[in-house]
Amino acid sequence: MKQLRSRFRVMTLLVVGLLFVAGLYGVYSVTIYGSRWFSNSKNTRYQAARRTVIAGDIIDRNGVVLATTDADGERVYQSAIKARKATVHLIGDRDGNVANGVDSFQANYLLGFETSLSERVAALLKGETRRGDDVTLTADSKLCAKIVSAFDTNAQTKGKSGGAVVMNYRTGEILALVSLPVFDPQNITQADQENPQHPFWNRALQSTLAPGSTFKIITAASALENLEGITSHLFLCTGATQVMDQTIRDYNLAQHGSLTLEKAFTVSCNNAFAQCALILTDANLRRTAENFGFNDNFLFRDIVVENSVYPTTNRNAVEIAWSGVGQSQIGATPLHMCMVGAAIANDGVMMEPRLIARVKSPSGTVRVRYVPKEYRRAVPTGIADVLQSYMQNVVASGTGSAARVTGLTIAGKTGSAEASVNGEDVTNAWFVGYIADDALPYACCVLVESGGSGGGVAAPIAATIFKYLKDNYGD
Amino acid sequence: MRRAGEGRRLPPRRRPDRRLVSAMMLFFFSAFFLIALKGELRWQGFALALVVPALIYVATMGLPRFFPADKLLLAIANFLCALGVLVLYSTDLDAGTSRGLQQAVYYSTGIVAMLFCILLVRYVRRWKFLIRLVVLGAAALLALPLAIGTEQNGAINWINLGGTSLQPSEIVKIALLLILSYYMSRRQFWAWLLFAGYCLGVLMLQKDLGTALIYYTTTLLLFFSSTGNLPLTGLGLVGGAGAAVLGYRMFAHVKKRVAVWQNPWMYYETSGYQIAQILMAIASGGLFGVGLGLGAPRVIPVYFTDCIFAVICEQFGIIFGVLVLVMYVILILRGTSIAVSARHSFHALLAMGATLMLGVQTFVIIGGVLKLIPLTGVTMPFVSYGGTSLVSCMGLIGLLQGVASINQDDFAYDYEISHSLSEELTLPNAEG
Repeated sequence: MKQLRSRFRVMTLLVVGLLFVAGLYGVYSVTIYGSRWFSNSKNTRYQAARRTVIAGDIIDRNGVVLATTDADGERVYQSAIKARKATVHLIGDRDGNVANGVDSFQANYLLGFETSLSERVAALLKGETRRGDDVTLTADSKLCAKIVSAFDTNAQTKGKSGGAVVMNYRTGEILALVSLPVFDPQNITQADQENPQHPFWNRALQSTLAPGSTFKIITAASALENLEGITSHLFLCTGATQVMDQTIRDYNLAQHGSLTLEKAFTVSCNNAFAQCALILTDANLRRTAENFGFNDNFLFRDIVVENSVYPTTNRNAVEIAWSGVGQSQIGATPLHMCMVGAAIANDGVMMEPRLIARVKSPSGTVRVRYVPKEYRRAVPTGIADVLQSYMQNVVASGTGSAARVTGLTIAGKTGSAEASVNGEDVTNAWFVGYIADDALPYACCVLVESGGSGGGVAAPIAATIFKYLKDNYGD
Repeated sequence: MRRAGEGRRLPPRRRPDRRLVSAMMLFFFSAFFLIALKGELRWQGFALALVVPALIYVATMGLPRFFPADKLLLAIANFLCALGVLVLYSTDLDAGTSRGLQQAVYYSTGIVAMLFCILLVRYVRRWKFLIRLVVLGAAALLALPLAIGTEQNGAINWINLGGTSLQPSEIVKIALLLILSYYMSRRQFWAWLLFAGYCLGVLMLQKDLGTALIYYTTTLLLFFSSTGNLPLTGLGLVGGAGAAVLGYRMFAHVKKRVAVWQNPWMYYETSGYQIAQILMAIASGGLFGVGLGLGAPRVIPVYFTDCIFAVICEQFGIIFGVLVLVMYVILILRGTSIAVSARHSFHALLAMGATLMLGVQTFVIIGGVLKLIPLTGVTMPFVSYGGTSLVSCMGLIGLLQGVASINQDDFAYDYEISHSLSEELTLPNAEG
């Protein structure tokens, strides 16, 4: 009987322990993911709240009202059609086609879910309809429109899908976040719904694609960090590197001969970087990639972004060699690649991307104010310095020359990433770069899907962005 | 010689159970009253505002007058039942359903079922013949849906009897516990194993996997409790795990369940819809909830049975949800204490079995709703809508209370004996 009783206690402890774990897990997941679950565009609750609460305004950094609620309680977006279309993925649309736009992800503010009891009672006493908070963004809607028109005016990019992100690399503020093709939130057509390019998809945040040669920033960082004397090592590029049963070639089948890491970075030599990855070993390259945020669960406060992937399975020599040039199964979003470039520019420190400048209640109290926050240290400062000079070389004398802007020192890295769309081989054009100037601390990433060469197609759009920043943000 | 404090007047005796019950009655009265003011189903709300506290009073204060009972256990079980009625009534608003009122009827039936089980455990002394009847009856009842059953949510586990539908596997839970503890206490291994195996087989045939999981886990845990036989328990565990893996390999819908559990958003349009809606509801509630009768609980599929915990979390907040979990924990701890104080191994195993069954079922459904484990369709004890489920859970409480009343009788008897013994022993001394 005595043993029976002690076993009873053990069984009870087991069941109670399980219930304890369930409760703990529940509280944990609501705290961590609650706002993401709540603001999901599928949630009908805040759409119901729109009927009883006047949703607050969304304002850009220059005071332009991007979204407001009219007298009938209908959500309306700004009247300038170009900027309206350009910011549609940033803001979202009434019908919830775009996932996690500010309009839905910040619904708890915009629809007054954060309103305190006293404010609610005050509104009730005055007999007013309750009004949500106004949200001011760090984004510049004119810049967003400029990027879309840059895509449209260039013959090589017109009609292509793509994405672009501009951020302040010192603070993490996002100035522009654009996905193409765009659509008009005031007038969603049948053509938008059926467009095979899926205009509702936010490519800047949701497309994890192979970053191609822009990933060489990370490979080079890993080499500088882990391989002693790598700066004086000479790679041999015969135009083809045989790894197991595969041959790694360069874009346009170039042959670079004998070259250093710096030179290989400038001309974006695949052979050298594939060899470099094999010398590095998968573990080292993966550790550096993870320092840059790959394989992390991104839980940024203002933005929902797809996680980036550095593969962990099926790692044979071929895959490792391809990883060195950003292929294999590596995937990253334009926002994350922008953060990678920004981290180099910011001396190795990656800032958390922030989109909300401040949230103001109808009575004028500021509920939230922008505070820069460090996300993680990606590389030591010394290595970031070396990479800064490498990236400046790319634009000054390498593949990124199209990103040059007179009067500015531009640094960057191009990428022409091979991908497969519906069984057809395409090349996605990437450019990651920044202005090396403390007065204009801005980084950008441009992606043109099926665009072709990064230096030829994506870099010119980056140049337009840098020029705009110089004209509007310089002294 | 005066002892300290003897001259002072003693404060009036405190009755914590009375206070607890009064607080519960006040809570439910005001809750029903408030939503009755809001909705269009006024008379129902006002009726419930009176009926539910009355039922609580009868069950927690009235019943213990007739035999000794564990009042805390009673209070918690009744609180959970009344909470179910309240949440169901709040979801009835503007929906044209009257599940709250219906559940109140089930609740009173549950109280009767509890009384029946108390009497059964308390007054039946000769089980030898009766238990065979129970075996035959339970075996027949459980198999009945296979002959005349109707299908609900993919499982054939309901039968219709004269207008009321019934889920035999819920009622058989009580029989299972009686049979398991009877044969386990007499160490008749094959007898209970055969019956448990038969039950699992029939449940599998009915595709009622959630209930099968609860039967299986309870049997295994109770077997270990009674014998402490680790090798055989391990074998049972391996067998269960093997069956789970086999089920995963063989049935596409089991695979889908696991995939949906890992990422419900990916399957939002189809099978992930339920979990996604649950998560959105819980997130909308936040820490303190959106408020009683508010929110949009009806978008969750089967919000009134399996997913009712999500509705509780939406309306009252996750903190209240955790407190509800704590109530189940207290219930389990009281149940264990009853099992531990029992004098006969039959009673001890019966009380432990009822406790484990409630605990396992609570974990399976709440863990599923909170996405800790894949969601399996079982009811949340006491709270979920459904007559059979409520009756069986209250029946389990009845078993526990029956054992508790016997324990207290035994204590009282012991006390009397020791008291009279000590009187006998001390008398000569006092005289001398």
